[in-house]
Amino acid sequence: MDSTLFIVQLINGIQYGLVLFLIASGLTLVFGVMGILNLAHGSMYMVGAYLAWYFVQHTGSFALSAFISAVIALCIGVVVERTLIRQLYRRNHLDQVLLTIGMIFVFNALQSLLWGNDPLGVEVPEALAASIPLTGIIEYPVYRIFVAVFCIVVAAAMYYVINKTRLGMLIRAGESNREMVECLGVDISRLYTIVFAIGVMLAAVAGVVAAPISSIVPGMGEHILISCFVVVVIGGMGSIKGAFVGALLVGLVDTFASVLVPELSSMMIYVFMAFVLLLKPQGLFSS
Amino acid sequence: MLFKKRAERLFMWVFFPLALLMPMFLEQNEYYVNKLTTIMILSIFVMSLDYLVGKCGLITLGHAMFYGLGGYLFVILAPEYEAVNFWVYTFYICAISAAIALVIGLLVLRTSGIYMIMITLAFAQMTFYYFSGSIDYGGTDGVFVYVKPETSIFGLSLFDLDNPTHFYYLCLLSLFNTLLFFKVLVRSQFGRVVDAIQVNPGRTTALGYNIFVYKLMSYVVASALGAYAGYLFTLQYGFVNPSMLSWTTSGTALVMLILGGIGSIYGAILGTITYEGLHYTLEHWTEHWMLFMGGLIILMVMVFKKGIAGFLEDLLEKRDGK
Repeated sequence: MDSTLFIVQLINGIQYGLVLFLIASGLTLVFGVMGILNLAHGSMYMVGAYLAWYFVQHTGSFALSAFISAVIALCIGVVVERTLIRQLYRRNHLDQVLLTIGMIFVFNALQSLLWGNDPLGVEVPEALAASIPLTGIIEYPVYRIFVAVFCIVVAAAMYYVINKTRLGMLIRAGESNREMVECLGVDISRLYTIVFAIGVMLAAVAGVVAAPISSIVPGMGEHILISCFVVVVIGGMGSIKGAFVGALLVGLVDTFASVLVPELSSMMIYVFMAFVLLLKPQGLFSS
Repeated sequence: MLFKKRAERLFMWVFFPLALLMPMFLEQNEYYVNKLTTIMILSIFVMSLDYLVGKCGLITLGHAMFYGLGGYLFVILAPEYEAVNFWVYTFYICAISAAIALVIGLLVLRTSGIYMIMITLAFAQMTFYYFSGSIDYGGTDGVFVYVKPETSIFGLSLFDLDNPTHFYYLCLLSLFNTLLFFKVLVRSQFGRVVDAIQVNPGRTTALGYNIFVYKLMSYVVASALGAYAGYLFTLQYGFVNPSMLSWTTSGTALVMLILGGIGSIYGAILGTITYEGLHYTLEHWTEHWMLFMGGLIILMVMVFKKGIAGFLEDLLEKRDGK
């Protein structure tokens, strides 16, 4: 592997890892604050991608579509939390798994009902369609760099919100002691709705930005969900910092494995995860 | 008495005689005989999962790994164009799966709760991708089984596996044995300790039991039986492919479990029949059957947690009370 190829793969790995972070952060946030394992989280990524496709067809503007999709995802999050997820707070893990599997069934059925089962694609927005030449033959698409930068901005925003704002303070407080937060007069159920809706929106936004660089197919949600599980397990459940480090590691392992050991590439992240677990059963940044 | 509850006894008296006579009613209608055979096989798989989830409290989302391994181990071990002995391979497959489960269990059972759910899933995905990507084992297409095993013991051959009705009875017998096995296991001293671990792990440890060993043994036993079900499935359809290992297989089994009633062992059969029956009916009616199935699952979790077995038990208990 020469140095140019190495750099290209490095950027690819980081970019993929950053998209994974966007999705995994929602998963880990919801788990950390509410103690809920949401298997339907990947479905939100799928919904985001399909919504982006639908609105790009109708409005022609990628930015506008992204905005509308994010708002719709936020609404879905609020509705799902208020009707279904709310019932799970006092239930065991098995109920969480089963209920969210039921949700996956429903979301998948709705997807095939509304948009069919053919693979779809979204074009890269014109303003970002250029490529940067790296050497004579190899060039790197601007859109992928945009995706990476966008994810970093979101990550920075999350860091700011969680560590510097009142909402973030409540989220952190809710993580460590639910009863105490309630006793202090905070409406914890509203907080939970907000956190869940933000989690859903993050997954959907990841689906939107990933839409132009991946094909939109049924089952894409489950595929990404399981990669996110690996991220979250490596990073430590409930830790946003862990999700960030885990996502970058998984992105890099996955990208380099597909170059170095193509035959076993899809399983390398799981091998990597098993290895991490042997050393640290609670993940790298367990809280 | 092995079957304490009324509902259980009723089920045993209704289900097994009916299942025994079924092929006669169906008059050799191969499609339905095959469908029922698949239900028997899936019931074995779901029952082994019920033991783990319902009795041992070990929630796994990776049980399909052993289901798939049962099939893959057969095509890996058996020569391609030569009939092997069914019973010998049953032993091989269960023993090797048990050994694999022992190693994986040592890793997986160090964790619990959410972590365990995700790690079992990850191991299953690892095997899924391994076999999906392997050229030797046909990638995503899987492998065909050209010759089915023969079933002679001491020169006596009871089942002809190419005959659907014979295969049906083999699966029914396996299901019956699995049910008895788990019932005996639950009522044995081993089962009591497993129960005690559920109620209070700390006290059980204080009584001198090594609870990790009990969990590990349970995991190994259930995994080996899951593999046996996968082995039967592969023989029935004559192929094995990675979809057997996919996480949807594990997820569907959990769904069957909640339909039937978690922790009741025989509920696994009820759940499998219900799921497959619903799937069949809905699929013929609409292409978007998943919408209804998903809705039903959500409803079951919300309001009908005990499943069909629980419903039956409540119904018969009430009659007892009067």
